[in-house]
Amino acid sequence: MTTTQAAPPPPPSDMPDVTDTGTIIGSIKLQHQPLEPASPILVTEDGNDTTMMQIDSNNNTNNAAAAVEEDEEEEEDALQTIEKLRSDDLSARVEAARKLPSIALALGPERTRDELLPFLSDGIDDEDEVLEAIAVSLGGLVPHVGGADYASSLLTPLELLLAVEESVVREKAAASVIVISQSLSGADYTHEFVGMIGRLANKEWFTARISACTLIAHAFPKMGPELRRTHLEYFAKLCKDDVPMVRRIASKNLGTLFYTVVDTLGAAVFFDKSNANYSLTLLDLYELLAGGDQPDSVRLHTTENCVCFGRAMALMLEQSSSTSLEKEEIMSRIDALVKRILPLIAATIDDRSWRVRWTAASKFADVVHAFKTLHGAMDALVPNYEKLLQDPEAEVRTAATYNLSEVAKTKAMVCPAGWSGAGSDSDNGMDIDDDDDENKNTHRIPVAQRLVTRLVGLTEDDSVNVRAALAMVATELAPLLGKDASVSNLLPPMLLLLRDSSSEVRLNIISSLSLLNDVIGTDLLHQSLLPAILDLADDGKWRIRLAVIERIPLLAKQLGSDFFDDRLLGLCVGWLGDDISSIREAAAKNLQELTALLGTEWSVQNLFPRVRQVMEHPSYLRRMNAVQATALMATAMDVNSAQVEVLPILLEMHYDPVPNVRFNVAKGLGIVGTVFDRSVYQGQIVPILTLMENDPDRDVRYFASKTKELLSVAFEKST
Amino acid sequence: MSLAASSPANASPATPANNHTTSSSGGGGGSVTSLDSQIERLKRCEYLRENEVKALCLRAREILVDEGNVQRVDAPVTICGDIHGQFYDLVELFKVGGECPDKNYLFLGDFVDRGYYSVETFLLLLALKVRYPDRITLIRGNHESRQITQVYGFYDECLRKYGSVNVWRYCTEIFDYLSLSAIIEDKIFTVHGGLSPSINTLDQIRVIDRKQEVPHDGAMCDLMWSDPEEIDGWGLSPRGAGYLFGGDVVAMFNERNDLDLIARAHQLVMEGYRSMFDDALVTVWSAPNYCYRCGNVASILELDENLGKSFKIFDAAPNEARGIPVKNPPPDYFL
Repeated sequence: MTTTQAAPPPPPSDMPDVTDTGTIIGSIKLQHQPLEPASPILVTEDGNDTTMMQIDSNNNTNNAAAAVEEDEEEEEDALQTIEKLRSDDLSARVEAARKLPSIALALGPERTRDELLPFLSDGIDDEDEVLEAIAVSLGGLVPHVGGADYASSLLTPLELLLAVEESVVREKAAASVIVISQSLSGADYTHEFVGMIGRLANKEWFTARISACTLIAHAFPKMGPELRRTHLEYFAKLCKDDVPMVRRIASKNLGTLFYTVVDTLGAAVFFDKSNANYSLTLLDLYELLAGGDQPDSVRLHTTENCVCFGRAMALMLEQSSSTSLEKEEIMSRIDALVKRILPLIAATIDDRSWRVRWTAASKFADVVHAFKTLHGAMDALVPNYEKLLQDPEAEVRTAATYNLSEVAKTKAMVCPAGWSGAGSDSDNGMDIDDDDDENKNTHRIPVAQRLVTRLVGLTEDDSVNVRAALAMVATELAPLLGKDASVSNLLPPMLLLLRDSSSEVRLNIISSLSLLNDVIGTDLLHQSLLPAILDLADDGKWRIRLAVIERIPLLAKQLGSDFFDDRLLGLCVGWLGDDISSIREAAAKNLQELTALLGTEWSVQNLFPRVRQVMEHPSYLRRMNAVQATALMATAMDVNSAQVEVLPILLEMHYDPVPNVRFNVAKGLGIVGTVFDRSVYQGQIVPILTLMENDPDRDVRYFASKTKELLSVAFEKST
Repeated sequence: MSLAASSPANASPATPANNHTTSSSGGGGGSVTSLDSQIERLKRCEYLRENEVKALCLRAREILVDEGNVQRVDAPVTICGDIHGQFYDLVELFKVGGECPDKNYLFLGDFVDRGYYSVETFLLLLALKVRYPDRITLIRGNHESRQITQVYGFYDECLRKYGSVNVWRYCTEIFDYLSLSAIIEDKIFTVHGGLSPSINTLDQIRVIDRKQEVPHDGAMCDLMWSDPEEIDGWGLSPRGAGYLFGGDVVAMFNERNDLDLIARAHQLVMEGYRSMFDDALVTVWSAPNYCYRCGNVASILELDENLGKSFKIFDAAPNEARGIPVKNPPPDYFL
């Protein structure tokens, strides 16, 4: 199998490392630049030209023939993949990198460790797509390198990947490292994994330090006391890093780290001397990173961190209630922490960057839920939320409005909006444990009750998006408020929204009215609802009209047949003649659903006569849609009415001069045919279909015979 | 120029299906059911496998070869102008106008080039044509040409999506079979571009040998390249092919051939359609927000069974109705 190719050219001059590190697979050198793209030669170190196949078949000589064959097949696949790993073609390299597990499987654990991994470590200057695929694949290689005992060998290439420029690669590598770390033994975990984090945290190039920020929180629970201390010191250093990108990722991970610390150590965070009062250290860092002198991108994480801190403290509170010994002490420590944290979130809401405020607005429900059990927090948070609802930026107000119902759902009580003494103090979040605490408690109201007073203001917001968001969520307040409060406080702004100038707002409120209906009943809404629907039905944008039609069955379900007066009935049937085909289709489905919801009798009396008129329309489009609607309606009727009232009219349409109408009769019969009994099928439907099978138009013939086939199968089954 | 002669020479890794191409013209995925499922896939903007395209083109050729240069079309029918690979806007068109076969359609050419989805657009229309030959008519536009598609995107798109130019070859061979014009109920003449000074009667179109690449001049070229203009008689076209023709030319042509109207496409009209010369000619444009940036609306012209006209105006499909364009590596031929 020795090839006749000339001696190998020297390795590319820009990659001298290849020879030095000796990345050899089966005495075969893998080189990152193929020497000649199509050449089958793999070059041995001592210059002998051989092929992989030769080596491998030699290795297999002792095995049974069948096994050899099988192995060879696998080997060949792996061979091809290895070949691709050094291909010139980027997509081939990516594909090969995704298949690392199968390569490793073919090579066996030892060679994977000794040859494949060093080879990968050398290829670290490849394109990002390849590196990303390698980073992902490495996470699944633990069984392929010989199991947990050898898993740490995978960290070597990953450590390099954790330091590359491209953040996607680093993120994937970090995810793989975390997976691998779970299978590491205690000693390996400490020495290899935690040691690696320490190295990353102190690397000169900032990208490595970014990866360290992410990994410290993950590794913390399994570290020993000494390592915990040093790694928190590392983290503190990263929070003060000169490079803003590092501080940003540190900030992103700070909350998680705090939660992890609390989760791991419990109350020891406060009391154990060896833990060096981590809570205060981390809080200091939090205050540092939330500070106004940090770049936007760092401050952006203040809100999420606030949620994490809140959850961590709630967790502590929960745990402390079972061990009452130190409870008092813990409570006071938590209060002290809350007092320091709340001003930070308050500052976020006044932040100069709208992105920071927007983040706060869109996550505020999480903040509120994280702090709901913490004493006094709500009195500081709710006024701040109200501030977000009045933010100068429409984007911020929209995000805040979307959170309205979620914020309102919190069980905590709050003092009323205009309550004296709450005003200026509450803005900076410092009004906890005041002397008039008791006095406040007597006046406390649910958050929903306080927020509902803000609705009227929001209905007048300049931004359509804010009003649309409001229309989407506001009715969720109804169950929280109860009937009386809903009628007096919620209904008026909702009626305003039904008359809003934007069709999107009106559509949203119509879709979300059911909750309000459930609480206050239909009568109060009825009068305002109908004009809103009629208005939307004329909207110039067809998707708005479509959305209205799709909501009609829901309204029918809630409001009953009384709601359908002449105008609305005319509208429902009128949609069959809309300019837009999708509307006409939706109209037919709507009539079917109304028939199902409101009954055959109602449909035959109110809908069907109108649809029948459409069948005589001069335009074939109207007639065709009437045919489609009739067939659909008949499926929702009782069999007798369908047979007596509807079927004859449908069948009659097969005389239509336009073939499109005729084959829709055939299609319609396919939909409705099975509801009738055999005699109707044989006596009325089959003769018409047979007639249509001789139609001059080929599509009429096709659909007629297709329907006939469909029905005959169905009726055969039923006997 | 035959399809059978164009056996895939370069077996690229992207087209392993090459070996399984169907041997007989009608076989292999040729049944109505498999055609229906291909149409369903195309409607989801998934492109067909190369061997499926080959089989589809073979069947389309059998149908198209029987059509006249002035294909007869019955009313009711809906006339559509340029699409230019704007697949999701074509889907929007069907949402507005109705699905084929419930509605009958006549497309005036320029299915490909410029948009992101020329392959899917043309194959969907072609599959519909094969499935419902009496319900949809496709005529040729100036972009249904080997030369033009190599410059304006269709060629590159085929190469990018299939890794070889075979699909482009199959499609461009089908372009040669597309009819040049259509006539609706003997009263409405439809063509992609316009009139030609070398054509006075419809019979002169009927005798053209159309099965060739669009020529650089002459009657066949003019039909696909000419534009109407507010001038008297004929003028030079700034496009470098075809002519400008005035209202008097249209009036004379309509009178001589007993026509009520000429419907054509070929020119972007911001308001979707434009009538000219006392309603003797209308331009229909069906690519909304042309090239994804022109900001125009599009239209289709619905003709009912009595040739009553109504224009349906529509906007580009909203973003939520569009798939995310697949990010593909740059074409390999740069390497």
